[in-house]
Amino acid sequence: MTAESVLSIQGKRSSGTPVRTENVIAASSVANIVKSSLGPVGLDKMIVDDVGDVTVTNDGATILKLLEVEHPAARVLVELAQLQDEEVGDGTTSVVIIAAELLKVADELVKQKIHPTSIIAGYKLACKEACRYIQNNLTMNTDELGRDCIVAAAKTSMSSKVISIDSDFFANMVVDAAMAVRTSDGKGGYKYPIKAVNILKAHGRSATESAIINGYALNCTVASHAMTKKITNAKIACLDFSLNKEKMKLGIQVLVNDPAKLEAIRQREADITKERIEKILKAGANVILTTGGIDDLCLKYFVEAGAMAVRRCKKSDLKRIAKATGATFLTTLCNLEGEESFEPTYLGEAAEVTQERVCDDELILIKGTSARTASSLILRGPNDFYCDEMERSLHDALCVVKRVLESSSIVCGGGSVEAALSVYLESFATSLSSREQLAIGAFAQSLLLKDATDLVPKLRAYHHSSQIKTEHSQLKYYGLDLIEGQVRDNKKVGVFEPTLSKLKQLKFATEAAITILRIDDMIKLEQEPSKESGYQQALKSGQLG
Amino acid sequence: MLGGGQPIIVLNQNTKRESGRKVQLQNINAGKMIADVIRTCLGPRSMLKMLMDPMGGVVMTNDGNAILREITVQHPAAKHMIEIARTQDEEVGDGTSSVVILAGEMLAVAEQYLEQNMHPLIIIQAYRQALDHALEALKDTLSVPIDINDDTQMTEVIKSCIGTKFLGQYGDLACGMALRAVRTVATTDESGRREIDVKKWARIEKIPGGAIEESCVLDGIMINKDVTHAKMSRKVENPRIILLDCPLEYKKGESQTSVEMTAETDFTRLLQIEEEHVKELCADILALRPDVVITEKGVSDLAQHYLVKAGVTCLRRVKKSDNNRLARACGATICNRTEELKESDVGTQAGLFEVKKIGDEYFTFITKCQDPKACTVLLRGPSKDILNEVERNLQDALGVARNLALEPRLVPGGGAVDMAVSNFLQQKAKGVSGVRQWPYSALAQALEVIPRTLAQNCGANIIRVLTALRAKHASGATSWGVDGEMGELADMNKLKIWEPLAVKEQVYKTAVETAVLLLRIDDIVSGSKKAKDGGEGARLPLTWEAWNKRGNLPKNIVH
Repeated sequence: MTAESVLSIQGKRSSGTPVRTENVIAASSVANIVKSSLGPVGLDKMIVDDVGDVTVTNDGATILKLLEVEHPAARVLVELAQLQDEEVGDGTTSVVIIAAELLKVADELVKQKIHPTSIIAGYKLACKEACRYIQNNLTMNTDELGRDCIVAAAKTSMSSKVISIDSDFFANMVVDAAMAVRTSDGKGGYKYPIKAVNILKAHGRSATESAIINGYALNCTVASHAMTKKITNAKIACLDFSLNKEKMKLGIQVLVNDPAKLEAIRQREADITKERIEKILKAGANVILTTGGIDDLCLKYFVEAGAMAVRRCKKSDLKRIAKATGATFLTTLCNLEGEESFEPTYLGEAAEVTQERVCDDELILIKGTSARTASSLILRGPNDFYCDEMERSLHDALCVVKRVLESSSIVCGGGSVEAALSVYLESFATSLSSREQLAIGAFAQSLLLKDATDLVPKLRAYHHSSQIKTEHSQLKYYGLDLIEGQVRDNKKVGVFEPTLSKLKQLKFATEAAITILRIDDMIKLEQEPSKESGYQQALKSGQLG
Repeated sequence: MLGGGQPIIVLNQNTKRESGRKVQLQNINAGKMIADVIRTCLGPRSMLKMLMDPMGGVVMTNDGNAILREITVQHPAAKHMIEIARTQDEEVGDGTSSVVILAGEMLAVAEQYLEQNMHPLIIIQAYRQALDHALEALKDTLSVPIDINDDTQMTEVIKSCIGTKFLGQYGDLACGMALRAVRTVATTDESGRREIDVKKWARIEKIPGGAIEESCVLDGIMINKDVTHAKMSRKVENPRIILLDCPLEYKKGESQTSVEMTAETDFTRLLQIEEEHVKELCADILALRPDVVITEKGVSDLAQHYLVKAGVTCLRRVKKSDNNRLARACGATICNRTEELKESDVGTQAGLFEVKKIGDEYFTFITKCQDPKACTVLLRGPSKDILNEVERNLQDALGVARNLALEPRLVPGGGAVDMAVSNFLQQKAKGVSGVRQWPYSALAQALEVIPRTLAQNCGANIIRVLTALRAKHASGATSWGVDGEMGELADMNKLKIWEPLAVKEQVYKTAVETAVLLLRIDDIVSGSKKAKDGGEGARLPLTWEAWNKRGNLPKNIVH
């Protein structure tokens, strides 16, 4: 099994069945780790890193990212979860579990002397067939179901998370937030850039006191206490330069002959900034946001003009604010003539800008932006860990809402799709004559991984009759109610998932399973023995002596 | 065997993973442990704790948050418990001990249900439901409104809050101080929004020496500075004050400049310019006829000379925050460029400027301000450690006063409200369907921990007191609680022990949500990320064998 001497390099090589078995075991142990966090009765994991920082989470991708998996095949699954997270944002746990299950049944088939390539071919066929079946038979259009179903989809995504008990509250919040950032893509459709939903966390109070703000919340305070804390009909200037004393760039020297001119230079330094501020204020700005600093000596001008100036805002925040208010994000005041000027058109508008106290912090809220609506969520919770987990959960839910709104098609959750596919694929498999039949059968089998032994057959029976008899077609929406442990109509109860999420899950899981199945040989190189740095080696060998 | 007898290493060898029931029980234990540390700090008969940090510093306190901040814990769940004390402190400023004790108790009562194989989610649902009902009860039936302009009422409430603390012996004094400080800094902006920022506008200054009774709230500001020049006058009545944040000395420009001198006179001219500049600065200031000039930056000897000549007192290098408070107290605007000084920038609301020597240090008092919007709370006391504790107590009192000003509703203290809510929930529990009923009533039981601990800390017979209290509440006397001094039952209406509603609400919310978070965890993975050395070599590698041994073998893998 291990043939060390054959290789010219130091390392271990193993091939054939042991490798495959090993990979499968590694994959299933990864799946086992996340398994208990799936579904509405799933629980959380607590991950402590070596510094002692704690993360509490239910999100598959986050768990696996923090786990530091070493086994190469298991790493494929970790990356799979990451991929699902990036592409869809939700369903990261499911995708890992499906992939591991696919591998496990494939391993059984290989043991029965079926060549991996036939299994791969079968899997590919089955995946294609499954996707087709979902799209043709199982999807529902959100337009006919209305807002309720979008909220329901968000609720489904949250059901396994720490906020599940207040999912009604949060689901509505998430849908409102997603609606608020709706933008037209120019082709008659709409896009929902959920990144534009700003999520801020502040510990204190209770989770249910989290709030959605129709506007943009900025985690900064005004530069001087003397400034006004509230401005209505705000004209906002977004600047990407400091309003500091003007200073020459490094290396530039000014040589003067007349000592009196030195004084003039000094005077000028202070005046340049003053003139700039005057230009900005003259254009009508009363809220000035900048990524750079504002010198103390300049603050007085803003205070006297009754304007609000905020320094050291994050650039990404400012860009979004500029978009939302219709302001121009300025990196310099220079115009084409080489002069400095500030046009009133550069200003953005908002109905109200206020500084409000949240917890022990002050936040700047920009409400009623003119160009585009923006939204921010302020999350409250007993401690930072709770807030972090809430943020992750809400992010997932936002992704789900975005997918549902963009594709406007959903499927039933709670294992209903999986059961339907399993039944369908099994009957499909019998219609094939080749050896792929077995693989498709296996694919079908692996979709039914969700436990509860007595419920699954019942569910299968429902789905079978729904596919055979047309009058029972309503039964295809049946899924599991895991809290009560019953089979029920998930369409009625409102357990929905975006179609896209399901399709991607199937596709990604199949691809990952195929990748791992194709491996029949593993070479592991040993670490180079020398741990000393080049310098130490050189010192030892006397090269430096 | 599998993999040729070799263990298959999936995770990093340095990580340690524990899961299932064990983790849940561990978390509960950690929570209880932290609660036990704090337990004796509740109530009027509470004791101080002396904490020593590795550097040899000493903290003496009975403030829950201050204690927990100082102790270092390993267990992640225990860290959660410590965090909630901090949250409580930041949000309302009081009730830090109660929240930790309550959260610990809520975890403890959940333990038996976990052992009976009840799913954590059912417990959690019951807890959340109970919390909602408890909050409703607090708001609707158990709380009473208070008139915040009524001094005697307000003092009573603040007194019952600091009654448990070191400062309790000086009750009236401390209450008066807290109330006055909060009233001073309270402002209402145009939209009617009340803003009370104690942290920013009321500074607590501690000067060791003297007696605690000498502490007071100034109607103005005190700063730990002396005048810059010995000849400047140390006492000015009705001063005109100018606040600056620029240096009164020559400062070079920021760009790199060099002067090429050709003529001999150029050099003297250069020096002259510097002097002229300072002279101009002083002339600008003097044009406004100030009596006191205070700047955040330095003042050169030359500028001092000009100022002394004009009979102006000058202070330098005050802190930015002090300067801001000064501006609020005396009505001045902080100015940066002296040539832009205007009459309106001068502060005239202060009645007295005086430099006093206390101990061997000089302190500047700017007092007798008309309608000051900022103030200094001056604390005196025998030693630094005691002063620190007094400061913490006063912070709590300030927190209570602030909360009341923002939400003027009260609940009876001394464990009375906890008992009342507990009683209310016990009755509601009968209407809860299913298994959920048990954890629901368990939460009600957990609330009894507050009166129980109060009784315990004053050495009363816990069982007798508690049963008697339960009986009282069952007969509808919701304002009865435990008198923490005597260990007897008492009507809190008569004893006048009250707590702000905001504090109690926050305690319940935080405690329940923390318990919920900890109960949801069924797996702890520790030591992830690059562990740099093998120092903790005793950790179990997560190998196939190790799993096998612990019986964690995945069920669905075929051998």
